[in-house]
Amino acid sequence: MAAPIKNNASRACVIPGGFTVLSLKFCSDSTAQHQLCVKEHRVRAETNTHRPQDRTLFILNIPPYCSQSVVKDLFSQFGPVQHVELSEKPGAVEDKQPELSPYFTPAQKRCFKVAYVVFKHSSGVAAAKAHPYDSPLIVSTTEKPVQTGLKKWIHEYTQLFIKPGLLQKAVDDFMSQHDKRKEEEAERQKKEAEEQQEDEDGWVKVTKGGKGIKSRPHSEAANQRVLQKEHKKKKRKELLNFYAWQHRDSKREYIAELRRKFEEDKQRIALLRAQRKFRPY
Amino acid sequence: MKRKTTQSTEDLENEMETLNPEDEEETEKKLKGSKKKASASLTEDGVLRPLKLSKGELYKAPTVEELNQLKEAESLFHCSLLKMQMEELLKEVALSERRKKQMDSFIQQITDLLKSVPETPVVELSDLSWISESGIDVPFILVPEETKGKFHMEPPDSVDLIGSYPLGTCIKPRVSVDLAVTIPASILHPMDGINQRYSRKRALYLAGLAQHLSTSPLVGPLHYSCLHGNRLRPLLLVTPSGKDSNSILLRIHAIPPPDFLKPSRFHPQKNNVRTAWFTGQNAEQESSEPPTPQYNSTVVGDHLPRSHLQFLSAHSDQCPAFREGVALLKVWLRQRELDQGAGCFGGFLASMLLAYLLSTHKVGKTMNAYQLLRNVMHFLASTDLTQNGITLAKHPDSKVPSLHEFHSAFQVVFVDPSGHLNMCADMTACTYKQIQHEASLSLQFWDDPTLDGFQALLMTPKPMIRTYDNVYQLKDLVKMQASCKKLSLLSSLMDYGGNYILTVLPFILSLLQRGLGDRIRLLVHSLPSDPEWPVYSEPPMHKDQPPVSIGLLLNSERALSVLERGPAADSPEAAEFRQLWGSRSELRRFQDGAITEAVLWSGSSTCQRRHVLLEIITHLLELHADIPESCVSFVGGQMDDVIKVEREECSTGEEESLKVVQCFDDLSRKLWQLEGLPLSITSVQGAHPALRYSQVFPPVPVKLSYSYFEREKTSRALVPHEAKPCPYYITPIKVICHMEGSGKWPSDSLAIRHIKAAFHIRLGELLKTQHGYTFRPSPTHLDVWKDGLVFRIQVAYHREPQVLRESVTTEGMLIQRDNAEAQALELETQQKPFLTSTLHGLQQQQPCFSAVCRLAKRWLAAQLFSGDINEEAADLLVASLFLQPAPFTPPSSPQVGFLRFLRLLSTFDWKNNPLVVNLNGKLAACDYTEIKNHFLASRESLPVMFIATPNDKDVSVWTKEGPSVQMLQRVMLVAAESLRVLEAQLINPSLKQDIRVVFRPPLDVYDVLIHLRPQQVPLLSRAVDPPKTTGRQGTLDGDAASSGGAFPVVDFDPVKLYLSELRDAYGDLALFFCDPYGGTVIAVLWKPKAFQPQPFKTSLMNARRVEVTEDTATTVLNVEAIVQDFQIIGEGLVDRVDLRTERWVV
Repeated sequence: MAAPIKNNASRACVIPGGFTVLSLKFCSDSTAQHQLCVKEHRVRAETNTHRPQDRTLFILNIPPYCSQSVVKDLFSQFGPVQHVELSEKPGAVEDKQPELSPYFTPAQKRCFKVAYVVFKHSSGVAAAKAHPYDSPLIVSTTEKPVQTGLKKWIHEYTQLFIKPGLLQKAVDDFMSQHDKRKEEEAERQKKEAEEQQEDEDGWVKVTKGGKGIKSRPHSEAANQRVLQKEHKKKKRKELLNFYAWQHRDSKREYIAELRRKFEEDKQRIALLRAQRKFRPY
Repeated sequence: MKRKTTQSTEDLENEMETLNPEDEEETEKKLKGSKKKASASLTEDGVLRPLKLSKGELYKAPTVEELNQLKEAESLFHCSLLKMQMEELLKEVALSERRKKQMDSFIQQITDLLKSVPETPVVELSDLSWISESGIDVPFILVPEETKGKFHMEPPDSVDLIGSYPLGTCIKPRVSVDLAVTIPASILHPMDGINQRYSRKRALYLAGLAQHLSTSPLVGPLHYSCLHGNRLRPLLLVTPSGKDSNSILLRIHAIPPPDFLKPSRFHPQKNNVRTAWFTGQNAEQESSEPPTPQYNSTVVGDHLPRSHLQFLSAHSDQCPAFREGVALLKVWLRQRELDQGAGCFGGFLASMLLAYLLSTHKVGKTMNAYQLLRNVMHFLASTDLTQNGITLAKHPDSKVPSLHEFHSAFQVVFVDPSGHLNMCADMTACTYKQIQHEASLSLQFWDDPTLDGFQALLMTPKPMIRTYDNVYQLKDLVKMQASCKKLSLLSSLMDYGGNYILTVLPFILSLLQRGLGDRIRLLVHSLPSDPEWPVYSEPPMHKDQPPVSIGLLLNSERALSVLERGPAADSPEAAEFRQLWGSRSELRRFQDGAITEAVLWSGSSTCQRRHVLLEIITHLLELHADIPESCVSFVGGQMDDVIKVEREECSTGEEESLKVVQCFDDLSRKLWQLEGLPLSITSVQGAHPALRYSQVFPPVPVKLSYSYFEREKTSRALVPHEAKPCPYYITPIKVICHMEGSGKWPSDSLAIRHIKAAFHIRLGELLKTQHGYTFRPSPTHLDVWKDGLVFRIQVAYHREPQVLRESVTTEGMLIQRDNAEAQALELETQQKPFLTSTLHGLQQQQPCFSAVCRLAKRWLAAQLFSGDINEEAADLLVASLFLQPAPFTPPSSPQVGFLRFLRLLSTFDWKNNPLVVNLNGKLAACDYTEIKNHFLASRESLPVMFIATPNDKDVSVWTKEGPSVQMLQRVMLVAAESLRVLEAQLINPSLKQDIRVVFRPPLDVYDVLIHLRPQQVPLLSRAVDPPKTTGRQGTLDGDAASSGGAFPVVDFDPVKLYLSELRDAYGDLALFFCDPYGGTVIAVLWKPKAFQPQPFKTSLMNARRVEVTEDTATTVLNVEAIVQDFQIIGEGLVDRVDLRTERWVV
């Protein structure tokens, strides 16, 4: 593979767009390399405290066999790493769901990913960006081998066994939390409902939130049902084929229907003829 | 996918132009323009679109003519479509004027030539020296050689056109013009009717004509043939020389002068072939010569063609649609292979039948072609000519034989206008029954409004091998000579002029009919074809004919029974029964106490019992007709091999499927009876192909050898061993278990999931304590190890999809929005179980469904299509063969079902038609139109392969994910080719090729082949070509324990895991194909757009590398690294990666 840039071999290779290209090998005797593109993470309106602007390195094209810990190990050579975040697409992190036990978190897709590596010091970012292209990063070393293929699948298979007790505990934990949340919600509603009661002087306190909760039971389906009922009522009242014009109209409709069908059939025939579908053999 | 969207946007633009202008007048103008455009685009891509008509055009005042036309289409035909289809078909088969002109001129030339035949001196009839000089042979098998009489050549009295060409009922293809040459009376002698003298003179005369014609430069190579396979009536085939030789064919008949021989001498009960002459021995008993009805009708038939033509043209002049009616009828007959060969129901008979219906006023003169066709069908279906013959003779005189006399001599009776000739003389009763069967089937299909009757009845060929459940071939026809002797058919043989095949055939057929009895619904045979041979060679012998095929339609309830129970031992019928079955018949005592004659055939599994019919046929033929077993070959059963469950045992999986279903029933009973669940179970439904009998290889109970595995630390469950070959694959059988609805269920989807997990644990523990089953819970399901099988129980709550769809808007309104997650869940917990139970029901009605379905799926998998056409879609495709078999009957053997499956795949027009599978018969005619209209209206957004079922009229849930247009195209192509190869091999068993050819995929179209290490492929023994020895894979012989034991390795298939990782990582760049049943190759096809260089973008960098030119960065596919990744990801499984760089460049 030709090196993409005719740079001096021992220097970092920077491409237009500000990315530095690093090379990555699976193990030391692999012949082919993937290219990682790295850049310091800089977004104008970053509110995420997990990705501090000066210490975060943004990396493209992480191969599927690199897990979070592997990436952490890979980049530790540039400085101590605080944490690593992998995602399928670059962009802001979505709102976190309530804490889930590992048994209930959905499996991750094993595809090429982007990574945000947060170093403890901003020097790590600079070191990574200055890393020369021709000394590739090695994923699987003898000290820290990365399992792939059959070994990995057997390992994953053993992970499928969950002790019923542990699973039960995870469920119970979640449910007790869930119930607590529910209770809190109910409490709040009750309080709001109380607020809407007349006080002894006959005054009602009107709040912003109360309205939404009160009208909660009405749903789209119910709305539709009401509409349909009215429609039916209207229809029942109508007289069919009563006036002369109605008669005339229905006849006209009938002929129009026949015509429409005829035209459709004609079109179909033309198509079949074009495809020579009338050759019986 | 990308391609599709671009196409649809174009179409959208097109449609935008055609839609919604305000002004009326402008509408009119624009509409015309757009219509042109619409029709243009229509021919381009061949897709139907909903039609837009302007109001002005729809509602203008109708003319009387238009009104009539519309009304007629509505009332006389089913719909106007049918009328137009018929018209188109007739146009397609009619002869063009240009061709007619060409023919007329050629006929004139030949007529002139024939009239100038030179005279030759008179010689003895047996002296052939005058002709043999030119090398031309006589089209006649001269046995016995000795004949009296004199012969010479002379120009014919007249040359006339006869048959379909002058009548105008001649249709393409295989247009042939019949030319009758009248032999001058001076050549013939009044006593020539006896001992084939006339027939031989006729043949000699043809040879003389051939000799003369061969000298002319106008004439191409000459051939002989014979009329309807009758060797006593040879024909001379003349084609022009040069380039027109394929388009024109003249058939020259030599006929005697009219009224030359008295027809009364050829009464069906008179003898005209003397035994003494035929056998060459001097027999004494002159008085009791046997009648020769076949020979007689041959001779009489030669006298009548001209008068028949007159008769028919008189009728066709009366009825304007006569010609078209006959043409349609001929197309219908031809699609059913009934129009050619010995004993056929040809165009001539079709015209005569129509004339009969006209003359008896069963059809009106003003009827149109479609009505004529229908009425003919109706007549055929309701009239049994084998019992009640019909006659066209108006005023029979006393000399004419009575219908009764005809019936005693012939099997099928239809007497011509002269009253002397039975036009169906050579037809067997079986053939007529076949015609009746076809006619009544066709009527049934015409009346079905949900069906495209035109397509099914006039456009679909019905070759024997695809029509009949079982086909048997009789080879080595020479052996039939022996059966003539055995059956003492000398007189009959004499009658047929030595054609022992035609002599024996009726006897064999009636024998088989008797022996097979109620096992079959219909017995048919192929019509011995008309031989054709060049004039310079001898006529082919009877034994050189292609094999005779016998087709059976099975009665699925009785066909495969191993026991033939006869009459009680002391009843008078017992002797008859013993005579029929010979030594196989034995006395047996039954459970009800009766002692009867019975025959017991061998076979325990369904697969073996499929050969019972063969056993019966060979036994009967050997016993009664001296035809050895080696002469009978069974076309079918060859394909059973690819779905055999165990190589050693002979079973194609029916029994195993049943066992799985029984085991499931047991489990479901136990689940129902569980005590201690907080909520009760409302339903337990299967959701796995094995529970609807359509799993290619149904799970088999196994006993495990524990030492083969490692142990998991906490639960002591078995875990695969890294160093050993992959363990036996145990399929988890999915079961959906619905829990009752209750206020206790949370209304939050996440909480529901947790509650379900709790149920999985609880169910497992209860099953363990109450029944001792080993189990493994997980958040999504519960695996239970029972009777050597693993069931995967998934708890479902019926409101969960609903909950997933619900969300609350900011105004506080509860809205429902469909989403993929809810759909997937609904598919899994509602639609799949429903489909499973429905197809389970279908299997109970159609015992063959399972085998056909499994063969079809095996084929799809073997051709690497199982990733595109999923299990359920394939099941539905096969179900449609059973639910809408038109123009066939539902298949009753795996092979015929499989052939029809291939035919369906290769010919169905997915672009313009939805495939409607009417499960449980729930769809009415109006539903069909509704489905079709919806389909047409939103074709672009619907799946390429659209399958509608009663529960799923407008989405086609099972084909949403695939196949893509390109894949479907490929499937169709491969199916067509497979069908062609397979049929050729089945019809011609002498090809001796392996039937598995159609199960081996062509690999040369793929870009990369990943070869896997066979020992890590768990289903290796199920491969199409399995290795001779496969390991035990950690299983032991013997029955599985019913409960307890360590939890086995379930659903561990490295190939599947590898494929899913590949698709996850590289699905955007390439397609991956693999045979899930023991395939050791993964085929990779790059997507074309993956290779295009792209400008550098953060979202478009996956698996690419950067190339910088000046100051722009572009990215290209990093193929080298990807290929290495294939190896890395599949370490331990991948053997080598084969780059076929001749197909692509890095």
